[in-house]
Amino acid sequence: MARDTSRTATGTRIPVKLHRRVCLIQTEDAVLAEELLARKKLAQDLVGRLTDRVLLVRLGRVDSVVQELQKMGHTPSVIQ
Amino acid sequence: MPLPDPAIWSEHVRRVLRRYDEALLRQVAVKLFKPRNQWPLDELIERNVATVSNVAVVDRRLEALDPAGRRVLALIGHSRQPRWKVGNLLEMLVALGDAVDVRPVLALLESGLLYPDLPDSIPRLKSFEQWLGLGGVNGLAVFAHPHVTARALGEDLGLPDLSRSHDAPPQEADGLEWPLRLAVVWQQVAGAPLRRTQQGEFFKRDLDRLRADPLLNGAAAEGIGEIPDAGLLAVELALVEGLVQENDGEITAAAPPVAWDRDLAATLESLWAAVPRLEAWNTCEGWRGSGAGANPYPSAYLLALLLLARLPEGGWARPEAVELWVLEHHPYWVQSRNEDRRSKMEDRGAAGSSSTRSALSDPRSSTLAFVLGLAYPLRLLQAARDRDGAWLVRLSPMGRWLLGVAEAPPAPAAYPQTLLVQPNLEIVAYRQGLTPGLISRLGQFAAWKSLGAACTLQLQPETVYRALEAGQTFETILQTLEQHGMRATPPALVESLRTWADKRERLGIYPSATLFEFTSAADMNEALARGLPAVRLSDRLAVVTNEGAVDFRNFRLTATRDYGLPLEKCVEVEADGVTLTVDLTRSDLLLETELPRFAEPVDPASANGRRQYRLTPASLAAGQSGGLGLRALEEWFAQRTGQPLSPAARLLLVGPLVPQLDLRQQLVLHVGTPEVADGLVQWPATRALIHVRLGPTALVVAEEHVDELRKRLRELGVGIQG
Repeated sequence: MARDTSRTATGTRIPVKLHRRVCLIQTEDAVLAEELLARKKLAQDLVGRLTDRVLLVRLGRVDSVVQELQKMGHTPSVIQ
Repeated sequence: MPLPDPAIWSEHVRRVLRRYDEALLRQVAVKLFKPRNQWPLDELIERNVATVSNVAVVDRRLEALDPAGRRVLALIGHSRQPRWKVGNLLEMLVALGDAVDVRPVLALLESGLLYPDLPDSIPRLKSFEQWLGLGGVNGLAVFAHPHVTARALGEDLGLPDLSRSHDAPPQEADGLEWPLRLAVVWQQVAGAPLRRTQQGEFFKRDLDRLRADPLLNGAAAEGIGEIPDAGLLAVELALVEGLVQENDGEITAAAPPVAWDRDLAATLESLWAAVPRLEAWNTCEGWRGSGAGANPYPSAYLLALLLLARLPEGGWARPEAVELWVLEHHPYWVQSRNEDRRSKMEDRGAAGSSSTRSALSDPRSSTLAFVLGLAYPLRLLQAARDRDGAWLVRLSPMGRWLLGVAEAPPAPAAYPQTLLVQPNLEIVAYRQGLTPGLISRLGQFAAWKSLGAACTLQLQPETVYRALEAGQTFETILQTLEQHGMRATPPALVESLRTWADKRERLGIYPSATLFEFTSAADMNEALARGLPAVRLSDRLAVVTNEGAVDFRNFRLTATRDYGLPLEKCVEVEADGVTLTVDLTRSDLLLETELPRFAEPVDPASANGRRQYRLTPASLAAGQSGGLGLRALEEWFAQRTGQPLSPAARLLLVGPLVPQLDLRQQLVLHVGTPEVADGLVQWPATRALIHVRLGPTALVVAEEHVDELRKRLRELGVGIQG
């Protein structure tokens, strides 16, 4: 029987890379992410887009990002 | 009668006993429960804790004490605050007629009925005298287990009867004034934390704000007396209550105390127990800041209420008489008065300037302001006017229960429908139906605008956002309004609430999360199936907010990146100058977002599993149109590869700017060694015939100079083929 190499066998340790102290914004949809990236003041604190709904925030800029989002009328939930 | 949570104090006793020296612990145990064997220390401590909850044993030990010792425990019991400063306890003993003597406290410590509140500077306590020798008794504190102090409550304190007969109907506050003010403090601190200087004082801006705030400093709706700096008292009470918390000089909002969710009686009990712990505020000076000197006020407050507890049923007392008794018996004021007299004799006619003298000349110098301005709004007292219009006071049923001289009063009638919710997002809260729990919930999602018989609040996006942030939901907020509303909640308000709540659900921010990057979607599914507490972001990425909850035995870490650290060099440039190989053990997420801006992924990955990208004219053009110019790319190469931008990459990037190239045919003279080429270029006879040197051994000769060159070389004996 052919071995399924794409799946980690139960009981073995799963290889994973950890990214610690990451600041992210997750939006409800891709359009909202586009809207945030188009906002000049926000864009300078957003260093990249991980997926169509996940944006990477520059280290130490979370407070100013939250403030800018609130200025835009959003009430983001801060997930600690 | 309910006690301050005994389990907490049992644990506190355990912690302190563990710091007793073995000999001291055994000495205390002998007096408390007379162990027959040489028990291990841990067992000795457990037996000690168990004994203070044994009613029969405690009663026997109390009987064996001197009256002064029993009085100390009774005073602590009446206050409902198990922790007291030794100085305050001694002040009360002296006021009750005992000598100035620390021995009753020492005897209680030795008998295991009282415990020192040990500072960190004493890791192990060898003797109580060692602890007492740390400094003046004013700075030292002790605590007693609530089970012990409850048994001492019947002790006669020898207080006089100050009663006078009166038959006017009593009036009583609803007890909500301070819960309301504390809720305002919580809201203000949640909006903008307060900050203290290194000396522990509030910054001037905060101090001015707290002194001027109309909600915190306005007259109480049912008040009969005034107190100074009510706003700052509210902050101090909120700190003691745990409604706000201080960390590194910053005061921030905390979760509401558990007592607030129980009922009004529990809330008032908690507030009453907080009064002896007020250090930075008193009824005479108002705010005096942290680190001020002696604080005789907690003992004066308790004595004042115990005098009222002594009144016969139906009896009233004039607050001035209570104050007078305290002034004449409390050692602080007796001593101050003696000093004042002596000073006047020595300096007759001179105006006094010391604080003690100003305190005595101030009509609110001691307990009058406490009785009318603080104890009455806390529902500890009832008040009535005598024939002359002066106030008379006595303990209310709530006050008698709080001082431990009567059973708990019946719960007041409940009026759950007490809110008038208006379409303009204003909420009118009628006070008779408010409870501390409702006050706390309302203050989370609406801003307090006025306090009075009817309080008003305003729903605002910021306050709703804060409530959602604290764990409330659209449904719980609406439920509170509908459960307590006198009418149906206006649709406009429901719509506003829904809009704010929906907006919040559209965006989630992870300020400091851990991202798990798997090598395949299958691996991530396996990890989630094994219980990884993560939220899926893509087919290979999942975010975890609490790394402590992850069972790392399921994982093999191939790499770890900490985004609090500087960026790492993690890309190698291959020999072709356009292929970039990512070192996955050192790369980060930023790289994954940077590379696709100007390079194309090579599919499949290189043989050793490393991820590769390639620079192409199209990918670089896309980068340039996205704002990534030559300078930015040079910086990126230096930061991520540690090398300058490769020539090939530079060529691809600046290709359109390069001037037109010239393609032509030329005769190339190939020589045997670079030295021969050097000679041809240097010798004047041949130098003019060499058009350009292409390389170490290749020279270009113009067609018209070929014959001349052959001739010159022939003179040297060198031939040319072709």
